Amino acid sequence: MTDNNRQVLVVDDDPDCRDQVAIIIQGAGYEVISAASQAEAEELLLRHQPRLAVLDLMMEEMDSGFVLCHTIKKLYPELPVILLTGVTAATGMSFKSQDPRGRRWIEADIMLDKPVRIEELRGAMARLLKD
Amino acid sequence: MPGITIDDHAIEARDGETILSAARRHGFEVPTLCHMEGLPPTGACRLCVVEVEGMSGLVPSCSHPVAEGMKIRSRSPRVLEARRTVVQLLLADHPDDCLYCHRSSNCELRSLSAELGVDQRLYRGPRSTGEKDVSSPSLQRDPDKCILCGRCVRVCEEVQGVAAIDFIKRGSATMIGTAFDRGLNVSSCVNCGQCVLACPTGALTERFQVDEVLAAIADPERFVVVQHAPAVSVTLAEEFGVKPGTDVDGRMVAALRRVGFDRVFDTSFAADLTILEEGSELVHRIRNGGVLPMFTSCSPGWIKFVETFYPEFIPNLSTCKSPQQMLGALIKTFFAEQQGLDPAKIVSVSIMPCTAKKFEAGRGELGRGGLPDVDYALTTRELGALLRRCGIKLAAIEPDAADTPFGGRTTAGKLFGASGGVMEAAIRSVHFLLTGRELGKPRIQALRGTKPRKELSLEVGGLKLGVAVVSGLASARAVLEEIRAGRADLHFVEVMSCPGGCVGGGGQPIGLNHEAVQARIKALYNIDRDETVNVSHANTEVQRLYGEYLGRPLGRRSHELLHTHYERRDVLR
Repeated sequence: MTDNNRQVLVVDDDPDCRDQVAIIIQGAGYEVISAASQAEAEELLLRHQPRLAVLDLMMEEMDSGFVLCHTIKKLYPELPVILLTGVTAATGMSFKSQDPRGRRWIEADIMLDKPVRIEELRGAMARLLKD
Repeated sequence: MPGITIDDHAIEARDGETILSAARRHGFEVPTLCHMEGLPPTGACRLCVVEVEGMSGLVPSCSHPVAEGMKIRSRSPRVLEARRTVVQLLLADHPDDCLYCHRSSNCELRSLSAELGVDQRLYRGPRSTGEKDVSSPSLQRDPDKCILCGRCVRVCEEVQGVAAIDFIKRGSATMIGTAFDRGLNVSSCVNCGQCVLACPTGALTERFQVDEVLAAIADPERFVVVQHAPAVSVTLAEEFGVKPGTDVDGRMVAALRRVGFDRVFDTSFAADLTILEEGSELVHRIRNGGVLPMFTSCSPGWIKFVETFYPEFIPNLSTCKSPQQMLGALIKTFFAEQQGLDPAKIVSVSIMPCTAKKFEAGRGELGRGGLPDVDYALTTRELGALLRRCGIKLAAIEPDAADTPFGGRTTAGKLFGASGGVMEAAIRSVHFLLTGRELGKPRIQALRGTKPRKELSLEVGGLKLGVAVVSGLASARAVLEEIRAGRADLHFVEVMSCPGGCVGGGGQPIGLNHEAVQARIKALYNIDRDETVNVSHANTEVQRLYGEYLGRPLGRRSHELLHTHYERRDVLR
């Protein structure tokens, strides 16, 4: 990975969410490559090595985002991951990547609940990318 | 004064008052769910029904005025059965999660069920399946637990002038929601949390962070520092059943140490620091033709309110960070350097009477190199939960003092917890800054108390000052509208988002309890009366900080660490 790598992977099965996130990231000066599913993202990751990944959680499977986090950290342990999710709204279940239980198995560096504010996502990116 | 009877007892009512008001004043407890003290009645929940002789139907006592000779039955079998039916209907689609609901110990619906003898779920409707809203960093909503009493909607609109939530949809699909039902995070919600205090059930709570704080404390790699706001020490005891207005400052400090925090600091220290920065900024603005009136910037709900609804007033906001954020910045810079700590390994926790502080802590501009100055902001309620979780009994602990270099405070800093406290502390220090002498009478009664608006004209060191103190954002909106319409006699305006100031904050014990707020304020005034150092500029730790590190108020380092900027905010509304 080079220092001038400005590529961010955005994965979401909801085209509206995907586009909104892409616009926010592009507005911060990054290039976006996007995928609509876990499978599509895994294929992209064979050809690209982005600087950051921003993933939805529930896609083709309920846990696609979690699985994708594991895949990414296995392939590229240094690649930071932001997980954007509406899982609590949809299922009532609550996951936190920062509490002791979540830390054991959730591979995301930051988890944010949808809908996110523009500055919130940019702040999370700044924390991970330190640009 | 109309003479009436309630349950055959003759009483004298007041002209124009409601049956509910007369009954409660004379010791007849009539239950309600939608009634809110000080606001007009809605008569929505029908729990307060009574029988009135000569009237065929039951009468909602909260909205029905008394009349001469009225004969009222407040606990006849018909009345009690009607109330029980109301509660049974509310329970028909209510979740069965009382065992682990955050409000199980103080849920009004649960209490009413017990009081009215509801011992079974008589009606079983389909369970509500609304989506939980956990998007906000400050607040979370669970519509399944909502009983549509409307108290949150009313406090948001009528007390706070925000109207971020309202009844949406129709009929049995009716629910409380934000604009376009898109979640609090992207709405006009200012995170004040007054809705949480108003909510009778567990439908509205703060975003809990106790687990994260305990995880940080358990991590040997982390250095965990805590600060506590001025209003917390005069409130925390209520979480353990002690009467409002009891100050437990020293015990709380000792308890925080027992929890495992590496350092315990006092946000009132940073309040003193704020006074020196903000007082200097005020003098600078007045002398140099700066934008006036200057507004205080300690209350993060107020800041978001201006950014959202009145962005043209952003230049009027003091550029001073709030005391929480000033101290957060100093912990990860000055303190880290002094102790030889890597700022990335410091976890900075605050205990606040406020839910908006969680939002404030996450503001991107308040931090360095992607690291926030404050990592977790817990409410007073969460501190209660934290101490209970750790098995710490506040009453059995010996008091202790906060740590240096940010543990020393004056009573002026402590006054920040009450509406008018910032102004009073500022006037004391501005007088000294301008004249080199202390104010003859430091206690300014005209700025004290819980009135939503207090104003004063005074002369300080040759400067004529028009000052206003407001609490509750609807009151703030009224002042902003006056200024917008041309009012020009104000130089300095203190605004606290919550009625009564931080002591009435959205992170305080549940309930819109005016008496408790007054008792907490009185405790702060007593501290100011009983202790000797009552001006911020006499805080020796603050003086040392300027001497060793910051230089002078409004200097380069202060500007870098203690001041900030604000931006217009686009939200869904």
